[in-house]
Amino acid sequence: MNTATASRYAAEYQTIAPVLPGQALPWLKALRAEALMAFSAHGFPSPREEEWRYTNVSGIEKKLFSPSLSLTAGDLDSEWLKSYQLEDTWSVVLVNGHFSAELSNLTDLPSTVSVMSMADALVKQPDKVEKYLGTAADQSEHSFIAFNTAWFTDGLFVHVPVKQVLNKPIQLLHIVTGSDAMATTRNIIIADEMAEAKVIETFVGIDNAYLTAAVTEVFVGSNADVTLYKMQSESDKAYHFGGSYIKQARDARFTHHNFAFGGLLARSDIHADLDHASECELNGLYLGVKRQHIDNHTRINHLKPYAISRELYKGVLDDRARGVFQGRVIVAIDAQKTDSQMNNRNLLLSDDAEVDTKPQLEIYADDVKCGHGVTVGQLDEKSIFYLQSRCVDEETARNMLTFAFANEMVDKIKIRSLHDIVLEQVLARFPQEGVNKEWL
Amino acid sequence: MSASEQEIKNLIGKEYKQGFVTELETDTFPPGLDEEVIHRLSKVKNEPEFMLEYRLKAFRHWQTMKTPKWAFVKFDPIDYQAISYYSAPKRKEDGPKSLDEIDPQVLEAYKKLGIPLDEQERLAGVAVDAVFDSVSVATTFKGKLHEAGVIFCPISEALREHPELIKQYLGSVVPHTDNYFAALNAAVFTDGSFVYIPKGVRCPMELSTYFRINAANTGQFERTLIIADEGSHVSYLEGCTAPMRDENQLHAAVVELIAMKDAVIKYSTVQNWYPGDKNGLGGIYNFVTKRADCRGENSKVSWTQVETGSAITWKYPSCILTGDNSTGEFYSVALTNNYQQADTGTKMIHIGKNTSSTIISKGISAGRAQNTYRGLVKVLKSAENARNYTQCDSLLIGDKCGAHTFPYVEVKQPSAQVEHEATTSKISEDQLFFCQQRGLSAEDAVSMIVNGFCKEVFRELPMEFAVEAQALLGLSLEGSVG
Repeated sequence: MNTATASRYAAEYQTIAPVLPGQALPWLKALRAEALMAFSAHGFPSPREEEWRYTNVSGIEKKLFSPSLSLTAGDLDSEWLKSYQLEDTWSVVLVNGHFSAELSNLTDLPSTVSVMSMADALVKQPDKVEKYLGTAADQSEHSFIAFNTAWFTDGLFVHVPVKQVLNKPIQLLHIVTGSDAMATTRNIIIADEMAEAKVIETFVGIDNAYLTAAVTEVFVGSNADVTLYKMQSESDKAYHFGGSYIKQARDARFTHHNFAFGGLLARSDIHADLDHASECELNGLYLGVKRQHIDNHTRINHLKPYAISRELYKGVLDDRARGVFQGRVIVAIDAQKTDSQMNNRNLLLSDDAEVDTKPQLEIYADDVKCGHGVTVGQLDEKSIFYLQSRCVDEETARNMLTFAFANEMVDKIKIRSLHDIVLEQVLARFPQEGVNKEWL
Repeated sequence: MSASEQEIKNLIGKEYKQGFVTELETDTFPPGLDEEVIHRLSKVKNEPEFMLEYRLKAFRHWQTMKTPKWAFVKFDPIDYQAISYYSAPKRKEDGPKSLDEIDPQVLEAYKKLGIPLDEQERLAGVAVDAVFDSVSVATTFKGKLHEAGVIFCPISEALREHPELIKQYLGSVVPHTDNYFAALNAAVFTDGSFVYIPKGVRCPMELSTYFRINAANTGQFERTLIIADEGSHVSYLEGCTAPMRDENQLHAAVVELIAMKDAVIKYSTVQNWYPGDKNGLGGIYNFVTKRADCRGENSKVSWTQVETGSAITWKYPSCILTGDNSTGEFYSVALTNNYQQADTGTKMIHIGKNTSSTIISKGISAGRAQNTYRGLVKVLKSAENARNYTQCDSLLIGDKCGAHTFPYVEVKQPSAQVEHEATTSKISEDQLFFCQQRGLSAEDAVSMIVNGFCKEVFRELPMEFAVEAQALLGLSLEGSVG
């Protein structure tokens, strides 16, 4: 806990507050004031908190990141930008935490579907935002959520009405360009009954030290189907906090694919609340090189009977990188017939790499089938030997197997253009000798 | 049919059979804890000066500490001033010289518990150190062990007769600063067992300590120290019971094991402290720190525990694998019924090269009990080719209980291989139906399935203990099947 820093941020807050969106809405003003109080009291989370025991965010406290108060797109390299922009999507581009209409593409959107910036939504549909904002992300969870609530400057708002199936994915492209900048964004995704949507969150930045603090709240209506992809490829010096908080209604399906590649220190929260017979699938891949610290924190809350959850997280850690996985499955009292399986597999490639993993089962019902598994280790010597016996040299064999280990997660992506970008990212991070791209 | 129903009723009606109280004249300190009590305690025990200093240091440190809150258990704050820190059966001047001098009441109590303090009962073939409340009342087979060069005596005696060993090793695995209850134990421990196995000796028989809490309003703080010198081998058993009382009693023990080069220590526990009644009233708070240091190369420590008693269990028998090629094992069955709470598991710290550890934990939760496995596997950078295999299975019986698994895995060495697996389920209807269809009662069927579930652990127990453990399991589960 560092309240001195907290108050530094808090002191600055007064100058920022007037330009934050939704200041005219009393409910939001009150919510922000409450969040500010909560944050001021605690500061950023400390490793003394159980949920943060392997991740020390004091690096953020040492610096003072400042939010940009308006859109400053400036001189963005359009080629670079294009390499992250997916074809054939509706897109919302946030630059330094502000919506850029110029870069976004929202043409041909069905009239019943809302996809807009959060600032817009607060003007056009304040009632709907009020109904959902802060109901999936619990402020008392940890102070990053409070921080986000108080500071958020913009975000993405998606509402898909009953029975509407979106034929194109929606991309949220989150770009930070400024040095010592802070981009705090809040996203809400609502899929009503029987609706279907795919949303892609892409976090990128220009080679600078900056802070991203994004919170996404997802509401999956009964029998609706939402797939959320997150590709985090922040700059090497950046700090990233990204939380996805999901509420699933009866029979709702939710799938999350989390690709954590960038950032000096990156933490993702994925917390899902499951209702009667909902299905939840969480996939993740984290690749750490150099001095990166990548933390993934998942929680699946089985609140009602008959829900199913599947979770698979894989990590590859090289150089001095440190990977953290914390996964928790809670089965509430009376959530009978729960079926839950969680797996975490880690590959350590160097002597200085480290992995800390903490899968947890908390079960209060008896008629359940729950399991989890963790492995930390090296490539299978037998597989390497097999390849060598087929005239593949050892180094190439290792590269191939490492790639194959990671590629299992990439192959789960069902959107071709995203698949290719993610694959590019994976290949860029590890020696690719022997990995023939044409096979892929 | 009606006969078997009657049988079930009888079974359910069965009580904690070790719950009797032995009427004895005792020397008991008035409740309360301050430095003066520690001075008195040390004086009563006729301890060397360094021990008193150690105790005071620990006590002062304890005062600066707070009760740990991280475990998954709930209990009201303990009033440490309401506990008496010393209670011993009245005895003659220098303690009993032979069995004849032990208070017959005490002997009777152990007889009732099925513990032979009588060396004539050769059949048992186990050397026993019996600890009654705060003091050790008898140690059997001393002569035979002496021949082999094995030292097996109450720790208070070792303090007088082998102070150099105590000074060297006490607190070297669990320092007095380690945790709240370890600090308290270091300050006020009253007795326990001391074992030293010299170089190259294979201990000729199983060693055993039997702990008994008898007096009311006391806490039991025992301390066990086992040192296995180079190439030696010892198997040690521990059992415990307490009378049935409505109030909670505190048991805060510390066990330290030290295994030198090529030494093997096998430590088995059948813990059957009074668990409280079926409404959760009374029972023992079992807050224990157990740790082994595999100091030498190729050393091996194996913990086996069967935890069926205690209102609250808070216990993590751990291994520090310092020596190259050393091995740590942990086999555990923890059974909780009614309102019992258990937070137990292990820590395996891999430091040396080629160290390996195995963790097999079976948790069974019935009634309204909460059963938690909490374990840490830590592989330091120096532990090349470290290997760990962990398996935690939980069985749930009844819809009001909870089973939780909190493993921590921290790996800093790429050549390490760590595997963790956990499952949670209930007894399958099919298995139950199959057994019943073959004429077994529901109760027997559950007992049989549970015993099968625990088999991997039971087969690690010495034979006599395995039989006792199986019977205990059946007893503890009674009334949990509708």
